[in-house]
Amino acid sequence: MSISDLIKETILSLTGNKVRSSLTILGIVVGIASVIAMVSIGRGSTASITSSIASAGSNRLTIMASSPGESGGGARRAMGDVESLTLEDVDALKKLEGVAGVSGQSQSQGQIVGKDSNINGSLIGLTADSLDVRGYELSSGSYISERDDKSVAKVLVLGSSAAEDLYGEGNSASAVGQRVRINGMMFKIVGVLAEQGTSGFTNVDSSAILPLTTVQRYFTGSEYLQSITVTTTNADNVDAVETLVTNQLLTNHGISDSTLADFRIMNMSDLLSSLSQVTTTLTTLLAGIAGISLLVGGIGIMNMMLTTVTERTREIGLRKAIGATAGAISAQFLAESVTLCLVGGAIGTLAGWGIGEVAGNLLGTGSVVGLDSVALSAGVCAFIGVVFGFYPARRAANLSPIEALRYQ
Amino acid sequence: MSSVIEVRDLHKIYASAGAETHALRGVSFAIEEGEFVAIMGPSGSGKSTLMHILGCLDTPTEGTYCLAGRDVADLEADDLAEVRRTTIGFVFQSFNLLPRASVMRNVCLPMVYTQVDPDEREERAADALHAVALPEDMWHHKSNELSGGQMQRVAIARALVNNPSLILADEPTGNLDTATGEQVMELFGKLNDEGRTIVLITHEPDIAHHSKRIIRIQDGLIAEDIANGVRSS
Repeated sequence: MSISDLIKETILSLTGNKVRSSLTILGIVVGIASVIAMVSIGRGSTASITSSIASAGSNRLTIMASSPGESGGGARRAMGDVESLTLEDVDALKKLEGVAGVSGQSQSQGQIVGKDSNINGSLIGLTADSLDVRGYELSSGSYISERDDKSVAKVLVLGSSAAEDLYGEGNSASAVGQRVRINGMMFKIVGVLAEQGTSGFTNVDSSAILPLTTVQRYFTGSEYLQSITVTTTNADNVDAVETLVTNQLLTNHGISDSTLADFRIMNMSDLLSSLSQVTTTLTTLLAGIAGISLLVGGIGIMNMMLTTVTERTREIGLRKAIGATAGAISAQFLAESVTLCLVGGAIGTLAGWGIGEVAGNLLGTGSVVGLDSVALSAGVCAFIGVVFGFYPARRAANLSPIEALRYQ
Repeated sequence: MSSVIEVRDLHKIYASAGAETHALRGVSFAIEEGEFVAIMGPSGSGKSTLMHILGCLDTPTEGTYCLAGRDVADLEADDLAEVRRTTIGFVFQSFNLLPRASVMRNVCLPMVYTQVDPDEREERAADALHAVALPEDMWHHKSNELSGGQMQRVAIARALVNNPSLILADEPTGNLDTATGEQVMELFGKLNDEGRTIVLITHEPDIAHHSKRIIRIQDGLIAEDIANGVRSS
């Protein structure tokens, strides 16, 4: 039996019972589509989490004021209520080995009132060097300067979405030079940041950045910092620097027992790896569940092929009588099941791709359809076709022609 | 003339559920090229078993079977399949056509397994269909749209298409009315006149009388092997 005959026979026999063939294919379509969609959504969210954390900087440590025993029991106090981090800490940390930059932060909340509209946003107090340390980019105007900080100037830099909310979409550049009112005080807008994305724990885009001293004097009324951001010279020495920072701060605060530390250090790369572990586990879980439906689809194929073999027993007998070998019969039925699987796989891949894209957009995470998952599904389809087609094909091939011809 | 079929001392024993059935108990005969033989016998006489062995669908328990000069008694399944597709043309009582396939495709089916060039197939099928005198306008009908006699003609064309040295027919008129059966037998007579060797099984004396030789089987043995002069017209 030549390949072209095999293909012709397969098409004729599968189109001979269109409804049954379509339903069987549907089983595979659902299986493959769900695997591809799940994997692409999973990968999309992993990629989006990874990139948002990477944009926050994987060479970054964030130190937050925290009451001792935060991870243990006892009454906790809200972040910011704890007064432990100071500018002296910032200066001390700057001298540590492997530290590229240190930026202290004080934060408050306030109503920013513009000419026509107003927003409620975070007021982040930062020093001039925070532009480099935090990797912010300006879209227009200038950043707060050292002089602003020294003179407790009433100036601010708006985040991108804050500027848009106040001055309209596309008009954020016009914000520079305008004045806004916060708590009854007039502030001059000196610059607008480019969109930064959610970086870590604060959404800079919807905030305003003020000189640190300004925030401390007019809003928090405290010399203490809420958090300190440390960037290291490269991403590999984050862990080493974390140890140095911990020891330095413990020394500065006169604490000998590290469990009583009045601060907490967030390591971005730790966060990144634990988050991607979570999403990978979720992706695997979802793909596993989808894989079960693929298995069910495969059983559907086997069921259909067994029915077909029974129905076509006389035909098989005839084919053997006119000289078909067991191999030719078996090839014919295998070809049918593999064809069902491959057609189902092709449709399922496209459907899964589509579902992945749509769901990814709805979830806002995007989706990543890898060539590998497409190749894998093609392989899985062929494998299912062979595995679940093998037994029915063998059964057909091993029928005795005499018995098969007599079969009613 | 050389022997197309030569069987010597064929035995076939079926063992099932502890009981042994001795279907053939030592059958010997030879059929020459160009003969037209009817094998007759009541049911249970072993004629179907003999037919299966002659058709290489089954192997004898004992004895030798030479088909077209080749000993086939000990062949493996795949070699038997090869003999079936090259040397034997089968005609069945119930036609065994593919119901949803066209007449043409049914006749072309055996050539799928003999690797005949696809371009040549329709031509050869047309020759075979002309030989069985099936009108051309029916060639593209589905086989289940035909009458019994027409179906049997298609089945005979299918048996002819690989140009076998032997046509084996198992009760070819069993599912046909008498008049149609006569027509089919006349067709076999004509094919035999053209030089084809034909062996058929029947239990109807009227049908057997179309042949030139009648072998009667009884209880697994040959009871009678006579030349039949009736079909001389």
